Amino acid sequence: MSRKRPQEEYNSSLAYRFRRWMNGEKDPFVGTLEMKPPAPLEDPEQIYEPSDYEEIKKKSREYSCNERLKTYSKVYIAVSILICLLLIMILVYAVSYLPSVGGESNPTNNEVPERYITEGLQETGAVNIVTGVILNYRSFDTFGEVTVLFIATCCVMILIMVENEEKRKKLKLDDYGLEPLYDTVLRKVAKIVCPVIFLFGIYIILNGHLSPGGGFSGGAVIGAGLILYAASFGFKSTQRFFNEKIYVIVKVTALLMYGLIALYFFLTGANGLEHIFPLGVPGDILSGGIILPINICVGTEVACTIYAFYALFRRGGL
Amino acid sequence: MIVLEWIRFLTGAVCIAAGLIFYVIQFIGVFRFQYVLNRMHAAAIGDTLGCGLLLAGTVIFNGFTFPSAKILFIIVFLWMTSPVAAHMVAKLEVLSRVEMEECCPVENPEDIEEDEA
Repeated sequence: MSRKRPQEEYNSSLAYRFRRWMNGEKDPFVGTLEMKPPAPLEDPEQIYEPSDYEEIKKKSREYSCNERLKTYSKVYIAVSILICLLLIMILVYAVSYLPSVGGESNPTNNEVPERYITEGLQETGAVNIVTGVILNYRSFDTFGEVTVLFIATCCVMILIMVENEEKRKKLKLDDYGLEPLYDTVLRKVAKIVCPVIFLFGIYIILNGHLSPGGGFSGGAVIGAGLILYAASFGFKSTQRFFNEKIYVIVKVTALLMYGLIALYFFLTGANGLEHIFPLGVPGDILSGGIILPINICVGTEVACTIYAFYALFRRGGL
Repeated sequence: MIVLEWIRFLTGAVCIAAGLIFYVIQFIGVFRFQYVLNRMHAAAIGDTLGCGLLLAGTVIFNGFTFPSAKILFIIVFLWMTSPVAAHMVAKLEVLSRVEMEECCPVENPEDIEEDEA
């Protein structure tokens, strides 16, 4: 047997509120959960005049007015010297436990470098053992490094590239401001030096498996040459042969080529199968198996990266 | 022949010592001068004369070999690029500094004539 409750009691009950919410008459969260602006602060009492603050600022750095600062600066110097000495002692103590350089019983002197030194030339075809190690035995590692370069330029492009031409004009990104442009001295010298720099970079890349150098250093040289060319002749002349379209094609192609060559090599050569990259005669330019094509890929990647960083930070576009 | 060897050694040693002295002058100038263009002047000395003399000394020690030809190329490259870099920095400084007269006071031509007269 039920009894009808009085209306006031029903109005304050949970069931009534639930029903109102179901009917959409009232949202219980309205008015309770919104962000409200904080109450305006009451005006704090001005204890000091503005001139007093300037006086305090001036006097706060003077040792004669501040005894605590005086002691603090002395203690600071003493403690920093102590900490430095302690660090030096710890480091020297640790260094004394390191094995001597070139010792026979060093932990690094195990079977891995022995294999690299004794059989590296026969297995990779590279006279330069270091290049043989990083581009043949550990080409997967180097692939990661090249991918890092690729992703770094992608991130910089996402962050600061301005693709819209009108917006670029509005921001005056192509404007050189006070920078000396079309300098005669620079142009005359760049005309002579630029081809030499490009040739030297190509030489370093192509001789990566024969002499010190390789894709990374040669790419850096070519990138520096591109920067010099862009700085002396303006970006309009660089864009004739290296605009955004060509940049994307070159960069993606280089990375993909590296990936495909390394994949093919891992599937065949690393398993001892017959592969299409002949090792050739050690000492020739066209030798060394996969090292030469991979070096070219790495070189183009690094050159593109360095030039793209310069161009992106300079004018927000390639 | 021993005398020739000695002469070669002495000329090479003098070249390298002179290059080192120019480097010391460069460092003193770079750290002691106040204004940018003065410091540029000091730095350009080390890049051209100091480096050139050092490399010339190594060439003399090496004799006529393939490495010394490479070192000569390095000297040519340095002497072509380093003054241009200094020139560009100096030009940028001159063009971009707003109050040039403050740090680089220039006397009026009329005042100089008055002093002479």
